[in-house]
Amino acid sequence: MADIRPFCMPKWGIEMTEGNIAEWMVKEGEAFTKGQTICLIETDKITNEVEAEYDAVARRILIGAGDEAHPVGALLAVFADAAATDAEIDAFIASFKPADTQVAAKRGDAAPAAAPEPVAAPAAAPAPTPKKIETNRPISPEALKLAEQHGVDLGPIEGSGRNGRITFQDVYQAIQPDARPTLKGPATVYDESDKIFASPLARRLAALHGIDLAGLTGTGARGRISKADVLAKVPAPAASAGPTPLGSPFVPVANSPQVVPFDKVRRIVAQRLGEAKREIPHFYLKVSVAADALLALRKTANLVLGVKASVNDYIVWASSKALARHPDVNVQVHGESVHRFAHADVAIAVASPKGLVTPIVRQADRMRIDQIAAETRRLIDKAQAGRLGFEDMDGGTFSVSNLGMMGIEEFSAIINPPQAAILAVGGVTRQAQEEDDGSISFASRIALTLSVDHRAIDGAAGASFLATLKGLIEDPETLFA
Amino acid sequence: MARMMYRDAVVSTIAEEMERDPSVVMLGEDIVGGMGTPGGPEAIGGIWSTSTGLFGKFGADRVIDTPISESAIIGAAAGLALSGKRPIAELMFADFIGVSLDQIWNQLAKFRYMFGGKSRCPAVIRMAYGAGYNAAAQHSQSVHQILTGMPGLKVVMPSTPADVKGLLRTAIRDDDPVIFLEHKALYGMKGEVPDDPDFTIPYGHARLARAGQDVTIISSGLLLGFCEAVADKLAAEGIGCDVIDLRTTSPLDEETILDSVEVTGRVVVVDEAPPRCGLAGDICALIANKAFASLKAPPEAVTPPHTPIPFARELESAYLPSADKIEAAVRKTLSWR
Repeated sequence: MADIRPFCMPKWGIEMTEGNIAEWMVKEGEAFTKGQTICLIETDKITNEVEAEYDAVARRILIGAGDEAHPVGALLAVFADAAATDAEIDAFIASFKPADTQVAAKRGDAAPAAAPEPVAAPAAAPAPTPKKIETNRPISPEALKLAEQHGVDLGPIEGSGRNGRITFQDVYQAIQPDARPTLKGPATVYDESDKIFASPLARRLAALHGIDLAGLTGTGARGRISKADVLAKVPAPAASAGPTPLGSPFVPVANSPQVVPFDKVRRIVAQRLGEAKREIPHFYLKVSVAADALLALRKTANLVLGVKASVNDYIVWASSKALARHPDVNVQVHGESVHRFAHADVAIAVASPKGLVTPIVRQADRMRIDQIAAETRRLIDKAQAGRLGFEDMDGGTFSVSNLGMMGIEEFSAIINPPQAAILAVGGVTRQAQEEDDGSISFASRIALTLSVDHRAIDGAAGASFLATLKGLIEDPETLFA
Repeated sequence: MARMMYRDAVVSTIAEEMERDPSVVMLGEDIVGGMGTPGGPEAIGGIWSTSTGLFGKFGADRVIDTPISESAIIGAAAGLALSGKRPIAELMFADFIGVSLDQIWNQLAKFRYMFGGKSRCPAVIRMAYGAGYNAAAQHSQSVHQILTGMPGLKVVMPSTPADVKGLLRTAIRDDDPVIFLEHKALYGMKGEVPDDPDFTIPYGHARLARAGQDVTIISSGLLLGFCEAVADKLAAEGIGCDVIDLRTTSPLDEETILDSVEVTGRVVVVDEAPPRCGLAGDICALIANKAFASLKAPPEAVTPPHTPIPFARELESAYLPSADKIEAAVRKTLSWR
């Protein structure tokens, strides 16, 4: 029987699905020897030379060179020795069924193993002639068949079966080329001392994507945070990670937005503040107050009273005292009327995990500083835990928003209706100032910006309130009076 | 963090829990260590020193020396547990479960189920297991594969002092029977242990002792240290190993195993029990069943041969999985494709 072999589109790597012949280096009818370059094959990644694995004649070239891509396993040519007749070659081509992997071809199956119907013409079998192996070692019949087809030397094979029996797997391994696994190397172990119940892979993924496990609810076994829980938090496909090597051109990646619908808090903030900025005729009064006296007094007072009142607590307190003296600023606007209040309910802006919230320190003007400190602490803790209720945030006659701790020097805030004014507090800055004798000294100053609703409060009233506030802050002992 | 030995983690956890909960009692052979000798209680000490000082602190009502009858120890523990105590029973050698198996298998493990959930059985059965002590075939065995196969029991195999602390505390506070297996060759191992008096480790939550992306090595108990050493050696060659410490074999942390194998595609399971119908085979089957598509090589199991444990030192060390055998198995998985 003539030795007829198919030449199919090879599979170079797991991602290769098709390729095209760039150039044939042998002509139809030409003989070639083992190791000679037969053709050039292009994939979408590479172009490679294909070397002959045996001596033969290129009896039939079925696919010419060109740009047309052919799937892996497609029959490209038929090689045989000169003895094969044209009729045999035609029969072989007619009965050929493309195998989709090299393995099937390598195993020397007459037709691909996956073919559902029986092998067609036995005369057309392309398999290499099996060489009979005589051995008295224990070996499974399938393993022996495979070894014979490939002419495998059983000597070096160590049988992995019972009593050293050689299995199909052993022979299969022996005919594979040497393994060259791509190693990815060691990784970091993330410690579990934080008492969060998460699987190791979830921890690794969280660290990789910078996700805080503390906020996650686990859906895994016994409520454990699993891979899926973390992946659900990973923002949309992060394209090409890792630094680009020096000198390579900049390649833009997909920068599609991550769509985050407004949650409840954000919807309310958006609606109320949008309305406020559109409807309320804001005007802004800015003043810079000397803060050294307040800072010094706070230190002493905190020591004496045993509290931890912040600068902001003092400003809330001073604002409430000033509001009590300026009831025309301590107001709410409702339609066509202004509601004046005797006592100051001061809302403080707090950045909570859920967004901006404004809990209220009620009747702050009647409180002592330690009471203010305790109340703000309570409200901030509640806000951080996301547990503020309606009663904590309803109403208010004035707001204080402080971004000083974030390094902001001064800013203007949007009024929180139905209130009519909000105080924006900047950070403490050291500034040079001229002394009475013409020398220069440095002082701590805080920039205050009052946003005022002109419908209810006139410029003069606002300015007068701000002057009182400035006086209280610069001469803080009067607060305790 | 305090630094202490594996055995001291056992003693201190029991002492803390006895202090905390008056219903915790301890019983076993020679746990008082010298009862009836001229020196009196604690004159000699228990053979593993895993109850040192407990008798002096808690007295004969709560630290009970028993006759040499494992079935009596476990039977008494089962009865105590049913009547509201939290017994910690100690078997000197895990090999002796044979004589108490009815009490464990047919009684302890079944109470809650057979009484329709109406009974609680908060018993902990501690036992020293494992080879490497030149103690021959009847005093060296790893019995977890027998016990893991029994529904109704939790089976714990700590590999570090910190895990002893967290897992034993969980065991004592658990309302169901827990088998707590202490490897006798680890008793002298030192490690950092958290000071938190409520530090517990939930069951079914494996520990990732080393992380890598090329091979997954799964083990527990004494052999975990061998696996860590192999991982560290291979890391120098750029081969990354995930080393998973199972901590509990029942419940089994399938998720951590499968997650890891999906990353690495290669797995070596290392177990001290004989190969047939064992934990290593069970885990290989789990992986073949649920992560077949991720595999790049056949799962490897490194276990002793299917023989009794030999007495001769040379034979015993040939019997046990060694670092060299684990390394060879890792390299074998890397030789595929």
